[in-house]
Amino acid sequence: MKITKIQILGNLIGVIPAIYLMYQSISGKLSANPIQTATVITGRTSIYAILFSLYCTPLAQIFKLSVFHRIRKISGLFGFYYAFAHFLMFTLFDYQLNLSWILPEIQQKPFLQIGLIALVALIPLAISSIDIFKRKMGKSWKKLHYAVYLITALTLLHVALASKGDLIDPAILITLYLIAMLFRFPKLRSLRINKLPEWLARINTYLLS
Amino acid sequence: MTKIIPTSQITPEAIYLSRRRFLKQALLTTPASLLVASCANRDSASPTPNPVFAAFASRTDDQNNPLTDFEDITGYTNFYEFSTSKTEPTNLSKNFQTEPWKVKIDGFVNNPITLDIDDFRSMFDQEERIYRMRCVEAWSMVIPWIGFPLKKILDIVEPTSDAKYIRFETLYDPNQMPGQNNPSFPWPYVEGLRLDEAMHDLTILSTGLYGKNLTPQNGAPIRLVVPWKYGFKSIKSIVHIELVREMPTSLWMAAGPTEYGFYANVNPNVDHPRWSQATERRIGETGRIDTQMFNGYTEEVAHLYEGMDLTKNY
Repeated sequence: MKITKIQILGNLIGVIPAIYLMYQSISGKLSANPIQTATVITGRTSIYAILFSLYCTPLAQIFKLSVFHRIRKISGLFGFYYAFAHFLMFTLFDYQLNLSWILPEIQQKPFLQIGLIALVALIPLAISSIDIFKRKMGKSWKKLHYAVYLITALTLLHVALASKGDLIDPAILITLYLIAMLFRFPKLRSLRINKLPEWLARINTYLLS
Repeated sequence: MTKIIPTSQITPEAIYLSRRRFLKQALLTTPASLLVASCANRDSASPTPNPVFAAFASRTDDQNNPLTDFEDITGYTNFYEFSTSKTEPTNLSKNFQTEPWKVKIDGFVNNPITLDIDDFRSMFDQEERIYRMRCVEAWSMVIPWIGFPLKKILDIVEPTSDAKYIRFETLYDPNQMPGQNNPSFPWPYVEGLRLDEAMHDLTILSTGLYGKNLTPQNGAPIRLVVPWKYGFKSIKSIVHIELVREMPTSLWMAAGPTEYGFYANVNPNVDHPRWSQATERRIGETGRIDTQMFNGYTEEVAHLYEGMDLTKNY
């Protein structure tokens, strides 16, 4: 199958946070508490990627920009990769796989349990995003992937509970989520613009080539 | 008791800078440092004299922990008055005006006074105290503070028999402190101590660290340091000290009553919904270490809480 420009672009954008993190880490600019900072950055990147994936379908339909259909899977997958990296930062680098430290933490802290559930729930979605599975699963694929609505909500709950008193940051993320969800309701879902500006149409075609 | 060192013996900068080299070597030998090599490489470009390990070894806290690097102490702070980020306060507080600065000390006292920041420096001998600082977010530092026991001021103002608690307040000035525009918190920052805690010899008002005046992000020009309590108790940039009858409600008690209590003693057995209180990361190190009861000052302070249920009085 042909690799399109949007796939290349999407993957390039997806690895930028990882490269940034490695560069900052090597050059010692990741604050005095680099493990903590890297945990936060991987987690945030995951949320941004997943939130973006929720906007792909509405953007593709309303603006007739099919390029967003193609980038949805990449964006969701990066959301999973960074969530997993976030989990590794916590278990491997922060707690050094010391189960006598990690298990009580998970036992005691609801925000960790919620985060862990969200991560585990992302696994079947990531695996079934492989094209062969998607074709074989047919309608049930769509049903399975509706789970991302709930997983995103869990992830945001994880963030809100992990926030130290600051209400603004979680409120912004939750608002972005709710706006994306509004576009799942029939009235907004059927919104369409009349005519796509020529230059946007061209970019769309170009990226799909 | 904690060793008290006169200011004259404070380490020259060149010597503590050399510790960074030592750390670099130590870090490069741990596997985790392969990925998180930040501490190791940060100052590889800065020219430092040969490590003076002998002189260096003498700069430790009472448990032989080496000092945290000056750059880390001044570059990684919690100062929500400027920003909820740990690194932003350093930049945002650059132009913070610390002179003139007056601190009003009143309430249930016989001799209320208002002191200028220079009065604090001239009236009280400035001593160095090397304390561990344990943040409620499960990271810690070892900091060579300059300051003097709070008790010395209390002896001058003479609390009356009505004074049971002491209440501290940080400057409220959203023009200078942009974080105070964040409506998530009930500004200004308030903290409090019981009078016996305030009178304890370990409790100091600090005006400097590493032999220099405090930087704004560390709470210039004057802040509290209570080493057996979580860092947020050690209120920064104080403008008002008031002796009161009732237990003051701190900013964090108001913002999250189920999470933050009045006492906030470092206690590995009382858990917090977000951060492990059983372990901590010492800034500059990669692994985790066990958190000590009262941050390792049990011998000095445990008697203050005899008969109290510390699970309830968290």
